[in-house]
Amino acid sequence: MNYEPVLTARIGVVDPACLHDYEAHGGFQALARAVELGPDRTVAQVEAAKLLGRGGAAFPAGIKWRAVHNAEGPKFVVANADESEPGTFKDRILMEKDPYALIEAVILAGYATGAGKGFIYVRGEYPRAYQRLRQAVARCYEAGYLGKDILGSGHEFHLELRRGAGAYICGEETALFESIEGKRGYPRLKPPFPTEAGLFGRPTLINNVESLVSVLPIVLRGPDWFNSIGPANSPGPKLYSLSGRVRKPGLVEAPMGVTLRELIEAHGGGVSGSGEFQAALVGGAAGTFLGPDQLDTPLDFHSLAKMGAALGSGAVIVFDTSVDMMQVLERIAAFFAHESCGKCYPCQLGTMRQRDIIQRMVAGQGRPGDLQLLRDIGQTMRDASICGLGQTASSAILSAFELQLT
Amino acid sequence: MSDWITITIDGKEIQARRGELLTEAAARAGIHIPVFCSHPKLDPLGACRMCLVEMEGRRGKMLVTACTTPVNDGMVFYYNSERARDARQGTLEVILANHPLDCPICDKGGECDLQDQAMEHGPGKSHYWEPKRHKEKNYPLSDLIVLDQERCILCWRCIRYLDEWEDKPQLGLFHRGSDSVIDKFPGTELDAYTSGNIIDLCPVGALTNRLARFQFRPWVLEHTNSICTHCGMGCNLRIDTRDFRVRRNVARENMAVNDAWICDKGRFANGFLFSEKRLTQPLARIDGELQPISWPEAIQRVVEGLKGVVEKEGPGAVGGIGSAKLSNEANYLLGKFMRALVGTNNIDFREGSALKAERRGVTSLQDARDADLIVIMGADPSEEMPVLANFLKRAARRRNAPVIVIHPRRIELTKYPGVHFHPLPGDEPALFDALTKAALQARGQAVPNWLADAEVSDEVKEAATLLVNAQNPFIIYGTDYAWGYGSASIVQALTNWIVASGHGDRLGFLHSQANAVGAADVGLLPDMLPGHQRLADELARMELEKLWGSKIPTQPGLGYSGMIASALGRIKALYIMGADPVGEKSSYAEKLEALDFLVVQDLFLTETAKLADVVLPAASYVESNGTFTNTERRVQAAAQAARAVGDSLPDWAILMHIARRYAPDQADFWRTSSAPAVFAEITRAVPQYAGMSWESLGERGQPWAWDALEVTRELAPYAKLEPAPLEKPFTFRLITGNLLWDEGNTFAATERMANLGHKAAWLHPDDAAGLDLREGDLIAVRSREASLELPLHISSRIQPGTVFVPFSLKDAPVGELFDEFGPRTTVAVYRA
Ligand SMILES: Cc1cc2nc3c(=O)[nH]c(=O)nc-3n(C[C@H](O)[C@H](O)[C@H](O)COP(=O)(O)O)c2cc1C
Ligand code: SF4
Ligand code: SF4
Ligand code: SF4
Ligand code: FES
Repeated sequence: MNYEPVLTARIGVVDPACLHDYEAHGGFQALARAVELGPDRTVAQVEAAKLLGRGGAAFPAGIKWRAVHNAEGPKFVVANADESEPGTFKDRILMEKDPYALIEAVILAGYATGAGKGFIYVRGEYPRAYQRLRQAVARCYEAGYLGKDILGSGHEFHLELRRGAGAYICGEETALFESIEGKRGYPRLKPPFPTEAGLFGRPTLINNVESLVSVLPIVLRGPDWFNSIGPANSPGPKLYSLSGRVRKPGLVEAPMGVTLRELIEAHGGGVSGSGEFQAALVGGAAGTFLGPDQLDTPLDFHSLAKMGAALGSGAVIVFDTSVDMMQVLERIAAFFAHESCGKCYPCQLGTMRQRDIIQRMVAGQGRPGDLQLLRDIGQTMRDASICGLGQTASSAILSAFELQLT
Repeated sequence: MSDWITITIDGKEIQARRGELLTEAAARAGIHIPVFCSHPKLDPLGACRMCLVEMEGRRGKMLVTACTTPVNDGMVFYYNSERARDARQGTLEVILANHPLDCPICDKGGECDLQDQAMEHGPGKSHYWEPKRHKEKNYPLSDLIVLDQERCILCWRCIRYLDEWEDKPQLGLFHRGSDSVIDKFPGTELDAYTSGNIIDLCPVGALTNRLARFQFRPWVLEHTNSICTHCGMGCNLRIDTRDFRVRRNVARENMAVNDAWICDKGRFANGFLFSEKRLTQPLARIDGELQPISWPEAIQRVVEGLKGVVEKEGPGAVGGIGSAKLSNEANYLLGKFMRALVGTNNIDFREGSALKAERRGVTSLQDARDADLIVIMGADPSEEMPVLANFLKRAARRRNAPVIVIHPRRIELTKYPGVHFHPLPGDEPALFDALTKAALQARGQAVPNWLADAEVSDEVKEAATLLVNAQNPFIIYGTDYAWGYGSASIVQALTNWIVASGHGDRLGFLHSQANAVGAADVGLLPDMLPGHQRLADELARMELEKLWGSKIPTQPGLGYSGMIASALGRIKALYIMGADPVGEKSSYAEKLEALDFLVVQDLFLTETAKLADVVLPAASYVESNGTFTNTERRVQAAAQAARAVGDSLPDWAILMHIARRYAPDQADFWRTSSAPAVFAEITRAVPQYAGMSWESLGERGQPWAWDALEVTRELAPYAKLEPAPLEKPFTFRLITGNLLWDEGNTFAATERMANLGHKAAWLHPDDAAGLDLREGDLIAVRSREASLELPLHISSRIQPGTVFVPFSLKDAPVGELFDEFGPRTTVAVYRA
């Protein structure tokens, strides 16, 4: 428990509206270091750090950085700040309390990959984060961190902000591109992957806010430092959005692989409500439930993947024994039925059917074959859907039945 | 070929083309992977998930959509694995779970992909209990197309077609999740000219033809291969009939012509076939009134009438007018009858000798699709030939072909990058001179003296350079520049530019009538014999005389307007087939009234027919066999699909009867008893058609070669064009042109489409403001000759100083305005 926060070190300390204060707290040193290293070696640092994407899919960031670095221009960098996974609020706090860090990270990514332009796609429901970022971008242009010849590197980089309009699907990277391009946010087919043909059909680096911000200490302190934290195959500091029935909900920075028990007890002050733990939903609506027997599970990408669960965005929602889990499931099912974009049949109809069946069960009209039906729909959605939304729309619900929480 | 690679499906190795989609490769090996959203003419989308297969990947097997997966050497797929089958079955099950299954009343029943897939891949029984969702079942997208949102399986084919082919993305998906529905964008219309193709593309019965809905069950329909005769493209159609009555037209694929598309005129505008107003029996003027008579009587009267004039005034007093809308057989026999039996060369059609057209039409329609540069002069493909326009749009979008437009209006194709000029009537030659000069300079050639003064602007230079550097340009000019006063000068001027650019042999003409090429091919011209042989060519004449068994007069005849004008003089009898000069210009009536004898053969009692002594009811092209030659010289067969209305007879048959009665001693040369037999005779009269036969035309037609007719084009000075004077009150230059939704006879007869025609005179916003006129105000357009009253349409597509009055407006024929400057006259415009 003597872990010293890195990603959130400035939060509550720095004045988010003041560029000088940010500089005074170590701001733009990572960018300066990157310019010293040069693009190629900066990318090598990210590769060596084995940073896994924090947006949910845990894809190795270094592979994307390298691919975009190697691609022909024009190319783009996009920060995914859509953060719409239920129970997730880490990116919001980073952007509201330390907005320059994200901007520095995007500029650094642009420099390392050779992209001339970046976008930050901010969730529509985050007006304060948007305001703070907007002001910060303007300051950075004035101070020369954006525009021509950044820090004497000869690199020119521009940054634009875009706001979402309340669709969960627009957090999916290709739907997000469509949205920036001014179209309706439908996911695209992959391949081609964003690193080959992303925004406006050009090679694009897209990373989650936390992933990008994690690069700053990697560049400053080196990949070895990063690898010294958490498990070897899933290293680094991690932000957990802890909510639900705990005494002290909030943003927690801990070494990757902190156990669920530690998170609830040490950081969350223990279970509230009845005081007795029933379950935790890890990874948001697209995640999975963990039961009392799984309290000692280390919350890192690999440990969870091994048991068929996922860390996802790092959201942890705790339920005590007084909660009616069927109602929770109904809420989750309704969420997916509402958020399914409708492009592909398995998901648009599967999420609707899933909701209808659970609603019927909640109304006390369950039928003997219902669980099998939910499994079949779940399998069709998982195997046949285009994007992650449909592929994971049944995972929380099926895991709840698996744990016999209902 | 190195292009061939090997892939494995279910353990079996198959040969495939590198980069083709797995669905295509599998189909060649006999594995038909089910698809809904995928369509060979549309870009892959991968939305419906019906085509899932397993693929061996770096991290094990994964499910992929076959319709979006290009194959590469060594790839391994599993189509019949349990996981793949389960995924497909699961998908189909969720689709069916919400599909209304109202097959018994669905227009698509029997030809529905969903029915077929359900039979082949379905789970047999659905295990869903939840009620089906409900949506709009009868939602009109336009006057022509209705959507059943419950039946829609959201395959996006309709959305993609409009975007990818017509570049008018007028449909989209709205709402989300299971509430998703196809709809128009708020406040907009579905008015793309080829919108009906989405009916053919829809894999289920969600989109149906509003004009043909519920009239048939697909499996009781008879199918006949035919073509469309609304324009010179000659798109291939399948005409579906039941009880010998036409029920609907659907597109028929012909990659050389229309790909798989037709425009909405070709699809929907067939109401004229069963119009109440069709002529059903011969009429003759008896006691001053047109009254029904029998065929033998009618023929007798025609023969006597014509003979009477010939005897009294000589054969030169008789003339025949045919039509670019009618078949080769009809036009050929009219020409043969006039030349061989009556003994006159007074034959023509409206777009005949008066049009300064390249008789060979365009180099080829495929050239339009392969173009690296598009040059359009005085034509508007979007309005005159929508399917061709779509090919051009695709070349512009997908091949980045720049588009050079020279047109008095800002036509739709000016939305594509390139260089666009809008010279006012009269200013065209100066522009072409400048382009010619710039082209010569760009190629380092000497500029002749008569071009020395031409002023080369930057834009002119840019356009000229584009054309000089193009490898495969598609170059066309159209009726706007080739017809009427001054056209000889304009056509020579534009020819100069193309010749100077080194592309003289690519200059084509966009024939907007279905058989304008054919009518000239078969010799319906006052100075040309069949096969574009000159009347003066003695050898050619002798060959024909052998075939026809009669002498052919050597004196060139009168043309279309010459014959009508001479009705007050030396012409005493006219035989008018499929033309309506009085409908174009009412003052022609008094001329035709002066004739001793007038025969009109038509579908309708036209304004001209009302003046006739004998009216002969013709069967439409759908009710008879016939051949038509499109604007790329492709001779195509249109087989009889429906029973003729009343006692009407095919044009060729009527002429055959009349000829045999006219000259019984010549009957041996008038023995052919079918349209295919007439066509066989045509192939002997027209050298370019040699070797063709009705059978050999088959389903795709046969073009005659571009170089089968030699045309020499040279850079040459030409007579200066004196534009019509602009003097008070005639201060506007008139512009005319074709719009697709016109109010012509054949079109207006389709009642559902009657309100599509946009009757208006068009002005630029500045001119409208200057005259204090608003949209919809009734205005008068007056020339020295006549005046028309029309509602005003204000559009920035019109150049200031011009007023646009389209052809074929009901009760407002623009021809009325023509004076000695023809369509290029000047007019006064004021509030009516
Ligand atoms: C339905 C859906 C919603 C998503 N929403 C988000 C989001 O809000 N924020 C985010 O960073 N990634 C989101 N993702 C993941 C992104 O598609 C993408 O994987 C991520 O931006 C990559 O960044 P990373 O590699 O840094 O994690 C979502 C994915 C899906 C399928
Ligand atoms: S899985 Fe769902 S959210 Fe994703 S594309 Fe399909 S319908 Fe849209
Ligand atoms: S209307 Fe037909 S073509 Fe359009 S999406 Fe629906 S099923 Fe497909
Ligand atoms: S483009 Fe011409 S030939 Fe083709 S369908 Fe339309 S009107 Fe008929
Ligand atoms: S046919 Fe392949 S996804 Fe629709």
